[in-house]
Amino acid sequence: MIKFDNVTYVYPTGVKALDGVSVEIGRGELVAIMGENGAGKTTFIKHLNGLLKPTSGSVYVDGKNTKTLSVAQLSKIVGVVFQNADDMFFLPTVEEEVAFSLRNLGFSEEVVQKRVDWALNFMELEEYRKRSPFLLSGGEKKRLALAIILAWNPQVIAMDEPTVGQDSLQKEKLKEMIKQLNLQERTVIISTHDVEFVAELKPRVILMSRGRIVADGKADVILTDGELLSNCSILMPQVAATMSRLADLGFNAKVISVEEAVRNIVEGLMRFEHIRGA
Amino acid sequence: MSILEGLKFYAGDTAIHKLDPRVKFLVSMLMLIIVVMYAEVWMLTVLIAVQAVIVYIAKVMRRWLKTIKGSMPLAALVFGLNAIFFISTGTYATLQEVFYHSIALAYRLVLFLSSFSIFFLTTTPEEIGLTLTSWRVPYPYTFAFISAIRFTPIIAQELRDIMDAQRARGVELDRGGLLQRAKKLIPILVPLLANALRRAYELAEAMEVKCFGAAKKRTSLRELKAGPKDYAVLLTVLVLFSLAVYYRFFPF
Amino acid sequence: MEIVRIEGLTFTYSGFDTPALSDINLSVEEGEFVLLLGPSGCGKSTLCRCLNGLIPHFYTGKMEGKVLVAGMDVSKTPTYVLSQYVGMVFQNPENQLFSLTVENDVAFALENLGMPRDEIRRRVDFALKAVGIEELRKRSPFELSGGQQQKVAIASILALMPKLMVFDEPTSSLDPVSAKSIIETILKIRKEFGTSVIVAEHRVELLADKVDRVVVMHKGRIVKDGSPREVFVSEEMIPYGVPVPKVVSMAKGVNKYFRVFNEIPLSSEEFEQGIRRFLHDKVR
Repeated sequence: MIKFDNVTYVYPTGVKALDGVSVEIGRGELVAIMGENGAGKTTFIKHLNGLLKPTSGSVYVDGKNTKTLSVAQLSKIVGVVFQNADDMFFLPTVEEEVAFSLRNLGFSEEVVQKRVDWALNFMELEEYRKRSPFLLSGGEKKRLALAIILAWNPQVIAMDEPTVGQDSLQKEKLKEMIKQLNLQERTVIISTHDVEFVAELKPRVILMSRGRIVADGKADVILTDGELLSNCSILMPQVAATMSRLADLGFNAKVISVEEAVRNIVEGLMRFEHIRGA
Repeated sequence: MSILEGLKFYAGDTAIHKLDPRVKFLVSMLMLIIVVMYAEVWMLTVLIAVQAVIVYIAKVMRRWLKTIKGSMPLAALVFGLNAIFFISTGTYATLQEVFYHSIALAYRLVLFLSSFSIFFLTTTPEEIGLTLTSWRVPYPYTFAFISAIRFTPIIAQELRDIMDAQRARGVELDRGGLLQRAKKLIPILVPLLANALRRAYELAEAMEVKCFGAAKKRTSLRELKAGPKDYAVLLTVLVLFSLAVYYRFFPF
Repeated sequence: MEIVRIEGLTFTYSGFDTPALSDINLSVEEGEFVLLLGPSGCGKSTLCRCLNGLIPHFYTGKMEGKVLVAGMDVSKTPTYVLSQYVGMVFQNPENQLFSLTVENDVAFALENLGMPRDEIRRRVDFALKAVGIEELRKRSPFELSGGQQQKVAIASILALMPKLMVFDEPTSSLDPVSAKSIIETILKIRKEFGTSVIVAEHRVELLADKVDRVVVMHKGRIVKDGSPREVFVSEEMIPYGVPVPKVVSMAKGVNKYFRVFNEIPLSSEEFEQGIRRFLHDKVR
């Protein structure tokens, strides 16, 4: 679905944000792009819908080279939700905001109506339909931003730092929503440094550092590799950090979820019980 | 825009950078006055040579030249318009004179920019703020000036972010006729304004918490102190300037 | 000595019908470290702003009850006086820095108060050193990272030498490594100067075992005010959306099978110690 072929991107200021990035993301995958500030995460995301075109190399979306398509055309396939929802709002009501993009992308008026209803419903914003987007709370604004993008049903949804400034209830909702989207076979790509959130989602993790991909694999493998994480200035999720302290006692340090950790410790303790009993 | 390159603030370590910014400002102003007084190419060339020397000492030659290069289109325009004007109104007898005077005018424009450029290239925004304070400009104005410099790059970044966000919604900013493009400014300007207002509120809170306006007499951490070098330069410049003025009215 | 004393505080913002804070009663002793928890919109930020006079001087509204900070009545004392006792650091570091160099930003509040120059200089040196950012002195805030900017914001408040520092979600916009660094800075300030601290935060993993007290808010009211263990371990806080540190969940899970933890751990260290102690006792 998404293919980066040896992509290098240099900003006009001379900063090389992507350096020979090659990766493939399949349809329906759930991927987390992680890395410290300046690693190239946002630059990566901006290549997905053509906001940025590679300085060298190519990006393919659904088989098409992004250099041959406009941002509007690519956005139909790849919906990108940026970190700051406030950067989008300018219309008097929530429903107009959702309708705006649909009209821009050329949908007929009746389809627009249906899609607006669906999106507001899915993101639980129906009660705010006629409200001004400027009067929404932070969490509601983020939901609206998501509703706007989801409305035209893009196959790929990319989110840049979706959890910043969110409280735990909002993060739970976000997690549920991402899982839902994934179940509906959409490709979901999130760029984030929220390790705990990623640990709970357990997606495929692509770790970036200084414009390069340094690791690509399952969340429980990458988020438990202490050396790898510290080289990329990422904190280990608390579960993994705790388990790594107990590694010398024979416990499995490669777990990131609470349930697995508990199971592992309990089994380990039972072993000790056995030894003592013997 | 390469003109702007030469007007961007830049800090450095040369003798010129270390001069009191008030002296530098005065020098720039005096140079401007000379540009206004003299329309003769030879004097303007002397001035540019002097500036080039200063720029060389300050090690900002490349950027200064960029300003000059960037002002060429504008200079060409001035030259062209004036030449046409002179020819059509018959101000000068010969074509030679028309060229000479048109070039002089274009030259003066370039010098205008280059004179300012030297000041900005060798003075940090902080020093400009201190200059205003030392000249007893009421603090709220200095603060407004400094805030403008401080937040311009941030607002510029925000503008880019807003444009990206709207493009990602299918707004095609680069297409359409004049009227359409004007309409497309709304999804850009409204969020920009809204963000600016929100930011202003947060800033006001922080200012309140930092006792802004508490004392009638505000003190400062740093203060400009002119040293012997500064006075020496000032004296030299004033002498040269007086000579130039004298020559203008009493040529010898 | 009490540094904060709030009695029966109810506050409604101008133009709103429902109060943002209802019947708040809170007492904080000098030197305490309090964590303020609650979902967005619960009133944490409003409460923070009542502590240094932004409410009711900057934000108008109907205020009932009494708020005493360092013995002063907040509604009767101007903010610039209160700011010398209560410092406040906000969420977005970018919007707290005004000057063109770090050093000038740290001096900003002191200049506004008209302090003599050598006093300003002394305090700026002190604040930069206390926060550990001396090498950033001449840098422009624009070129700093979010974490560094927030440290400058902290230093600029520390320069006022307040007895109480209030942090309103100071790490929300930062990445985890910077967040940890900021929390460590707060702890360092506490340790060196004994400053009372109130932090409104979501990142409980970094703070659970470090704070003296946790105050949970919900819809403008305080629903729980107790020790960290009381708040994070009890089940009753779950409907209020209190984030629970993962080690607490892990420990509870393990305790269902083996009575490993007498006291539920609040950090990785405590968890590890608990396990090791258990095994040690078992082996003996």
